[in-house]
Amino acid sequence: MEFDRFFKFSQLLLRDEFVLSYSGYVSEDILLAVGNTLRVRLEDHARDGTQIRNVFSIFVELMQNIIRYGVEGPHPGSDAGEKPSFGIVMVSENDGHMDIIAGNYVAKDEAKQLVDRVNELQCHSHDELRHMYRERLRRSPDRASKGASLGLIEIARRSTLPVMCEIMPASGSLSFFMIRASV
Amino acid sequence: MDLKLDATSRTPAVILDSAGAHLGISGESYPEDVTGFYAELTSALNAYFESGAKTLTTQIKLTYFNSSSARALMELLELLDEAAGAGIRITVNWFCDPDDDITREFAEDIAADVANAKVVICDLV
Repeated sequence: MEFDRFFKFSQLLLRDEFVLSYSGYVSEDILLAVGNTLRVRLEDHARDGTQIRNVFSIFVELMQNIIRYGVEGPHPGSDAGEKPSFGIVMVSENDGHMDIIAGNYVAKDEAKQLVDRVNELQCHSHDELRHMYRERLRRSPDRASKGASLGLIEIARRSTLPVMCEIMPASGSLSFFMIRASV
Repeated sequence: MDLKLDATSRTPAVILDSAGAHLGISGESYPEDVTGFYAELTSALNAYFESGAKTLTTQIKLTYFNSSSARALMELLELLDEAAGAGIRITVNWFCDPDDDITREFAEDIAADVANAKVVICDLV
């Protein structure tokens, strides 16, 4: 990469009250390492322990969603071994709240369903989300089952603003899925 | 049937002390392999109950757990409730951070589905 492109990239990241970002393949080891760093960064940025807990909790659920449901992306590696998921996650401070945004590639035909599931969560009250969580807990964790996953409901419960999402077309049979929670 | 697991950065400390009829779970829970981690506890508990145990006091002090661990905790409470239904006296003291409404609501929702064991939700200080 040329230095001027690299410089533009760095300037994008360092604007605003930037707390942390990670971009690359996501694994459980990465989750642990970036999560530990995030906690240290939040000690300097967060209002109180409740905000730290909610941001960290959303971060873990988003990263685990990428690990479980994400795909390799447009530049797949060798066919051998376990497929790593590609993802990007960013935590930034805006007007007194923390935004947690994550993006990852998904198969084009699964993207619409994912967006529907997130949008469905937006119109529920705190108590309705609590009830949904309880119902979901009692069902099998089958990925293909109807409705939002336990992780998505957890994110919606800990986000103080409605969880927003969007998809952008990516190359080939892929879409890029983006999701934002705020605490 | 005794079990002693030290806490790691993502798994809680677990102590099952059969002589003291005590189970303690404390720390944070977001294991890489949730099923494997809690399966070890489940099998130790089953062995304890099958050994003719009369009572068990459980103390849960988790400062953070992810949604996969939430499902494992629900299954743990179901196992304890089943044992209580079979005549073993079971008390669960569940300590929640008073600032964490969502975890407290989770504990309340789980407790509401427990029929035979006694679940007490307390403030973590």
